[in-house]
Amino acid sequence: MRTLSSKDPTKGGRTSSPGGPPTGRRTPGHRRPRPGGMARNRRREAAALVMPSLLPILVLSVAPLVMGVALAFTDARLVRSPDYELVGFENFTKLFDNGFFWESFRIGMVWAVSVTLLQLVAAMGLALLLNSGLRLQGLTRVLALIPWAMPPVVVAIMWQMIYSPNAGPLNAVLDGVGLPGDINWLGDFTTALPAVIVVGVWVGMPQTTVTLLAGLQQIPDELHEAASMDGASAWRRFVDVTLPSLRPIIASITSLNFIWNFNSFSLVYVLTEGGPGGRTMLPMLFTYLEAFKNRNIGYAAAMGVVLVTVVVLLLALYLWSQFRQDDKGKVR
Amino acid sequence: MNTRVASIAAIPATMLLLTACGGGDGDDGGAVTLEFQSLSDQPAAIEATEQIVESWNQDHPDVQVEIVPAGWDGVYDKLITQFNGGAAPDIIHYEAAGIVPFAVDGYLADLSDLMSDAMRVDIPSGILDSVTVDGQVVAYPTELQSYVVFANRGLLEDAGVRVPEGETMTWEELREISQATTSGDQYGLGWGLSSPTAAFMSMAPAFGGTFFDGAGSDAGLIMEEGEMALPELVGEMAHDDESVQPVSLTQAGSDVLASFYAEDIAMTVQGSFQAANIEADAPEGLDWVVLPPLEGPAGPWQAANPQTLSVNVDSEHIEESAEFLEYFASTDNLAELNEADALIPATESAREIMGTSLAEEPGWEAILESADHLESSPFLFVDAYPQWKDTVATPAYQRFLAEEIDADELREELQTGWDEITQ
Repeated sequence: MRTLSSKDPTKGGRTSSPGGPPTGRRTPGHRRPRPGGMARNRRREAAALVMPSLLPILVLSVAPLVMGVALAFTDARLVRSPDYELVGFENFTKLFDNGFFWESFRIGMVWAVSVTLLQLVAAMGLALLLNSGLRLQGLTRVLALIPWAMPPVVVAIMWQMIYSPNAGPLNAVLDGVGLPGDINWLGDFTTALPAVIVVGVWVGMPQTTVTLLAGLQQIPDELHEAASMDGASAWRRFVDVTLPSLRPIIASITSLNFIWNFNSFSLVYVLTEGGPGGRTMLPMLFTYLEAFKNRNIGYAAAMGVVLVTVVVLLLALYLWSQFRQDDKGKVR
Repeated sequence: MNTRVASIAAIPATMLLLTACGGGDGDDGGAVTLEFQSLSDQPAAIEATEQIVESWNQDHPDVQVEIVPAGWDGVYDKLITQFNGGAAPDIIHYEAAGIVPFAVDGYLADLSDLMSDAMRVDIPSGILDSVTVDGQVVAYPTELQSYVVFANRGLLEDAGVRVPEGETMTWEELREISQATTSGDQYGLGWGLSSPTAAFMSMAPAFGGTFFDGAGSDAGLIMEEGEMALPELVGEMAHDDESVQPVSLTQAGSDVLASFYAEDIAMTVQGSFQAANIEADAPEGLDWVVLPPLEGPAGPWQAANPQTLSVNVDSEHIEESAEFLEYFASTDNLAELNEADALIPATESAREIMGTSLAEEPGWEAILESADHLESSPFLFVDAYPQWKDTVATPAYQRFLAEEIDADELREELQTGWDEITQ
């Protein structure tokens, strides 16, 4: 958020117009004392060019978003002749007392944080491996993308089969090596959430790996060479060369992953439908049930608003701390 | 990735899209086309449905019926979005317990005057009641299921148990046989209770359980002895006797059949329709029988929750749709369909035909007999039932069966959940 607004051209232009030469050098066109006919024309041109891409965004993203937020302040229900009225903050106060919602929120946080972290660690390992110049690198890089190419529903059905308590390959393998082979992975209250998290990590790894791999390829070899000349071990080189160079990429992919994971729906919907006994009831599933089973879309919209607000706050905090570290690093 | 990013925009966006997609009716060149959303999922039943539709289409060039296949999973959510988006088909296949809220909302056409008198007389009054909302018939009932016990005769005899043969058998008897046939890796009973609510609701009448008092939006939940008896009994069998296969309690009924075929379990409680699957899939030499209907302290009663065919009130061809339903539910068609699905027809005449034509087939006699014990049940007419079932009852029963909560906590969870939904 912060970076966006500081790069905002209009803002920058306006505050700097009476000011000194440094900004003037960057944008000479805006520095003319009076706009004149040509500048107006150009502005019109720019508007005309922006419209085609702006319209779909307005119609397909902004309008539904505004509608969704507005719904949160009504008692709308999904019925044949809906007549609903504004109820102010009633949905939100009701939500505040809704123990089920906050329990599902807690599960959602456990899910999103652990999937995001595990994804990062596993994808980092995989990216380093794929970048280490092993044989058949081209093939393995393609193979690593496969989970990405599969629709979430297919992934979920596949893992359902793997986890199947009496015919699944996972239990067969465990049984084969002498471990207990009768674990009911998705049906047992203790294993359901971890089992679902493993699938979440698996399915989300490719895009993290690819992004990190791209970042790794950007790091100049000279840095590594210099470090090894100085006698740095592989671990030291990873910590002091690779990680700092990757920091902006890690920060962005982690925040994107966090949003995706927190909002993920189809995978868990197909795997467990929030069961057993609500143990894997992610907030999006809960909201879906409220909207399409209980048909309280006003209330469900309020849940959506709360979820988005909390996620935005958490991300702002995370990015702020990341960039603050970044700034410090530069000063040093 | 779009689905993930959409987040909150999803709900209103879906509504927009649905509204945009709605309204198109295949209406060209004079011939009327009716969309028939069918949920039939067994190969034989799909074929039977297709045959009925095909013969209708041949006889009625002006009114063509087109089958739109859909699945039972998630069909309630699907119908909600279809109706709200104005994209619902003309003819809607569902079940009484699920269709009533849509009728209350005014989405279904009143078929009272369109249903022929002969048909009305042919449907037992208890079953006709289950599709009558505010005095209006909102659906043609077609197929009924009862819960029956399938048993492996060999395993029962190995354990020295005489296979019960009477008019009915008591739950106590089932419990004893289950204990007697449990040994080593083998369990007496497997029961697919991953979605336990429907089974517990349907079989509660045998214990005098009614669950609800009143109807519509004024109904109240009753949680007393009769309502709690069955879950408690299953809990005792599973955790005290240890005669119920634990895995099965978290599986769907059809998954439990694998254990039945592998002879890991001696008996399994299933919907009667599984007879068709067992006959097709059971390994050669598996000698299976359908045990007599289960009887509780209040009798052998089970709740009737027929499959239904309704007409969308916004359809441009309500009369034609009703004519097709009249044909679909005619005696021969219904008998054929129910035989394919191993279910019990909703009309007396079709049941008679099946009684004579299937007298020799294994299991059928017991299945058809169980139909005499089906009665209409209050939960069909409770507006909030489908919500309560999915958001409160199913997770609570799952927790109870996994011993996360005890019977008192279960009762309380069901009650408070109900209060929260209906407040």
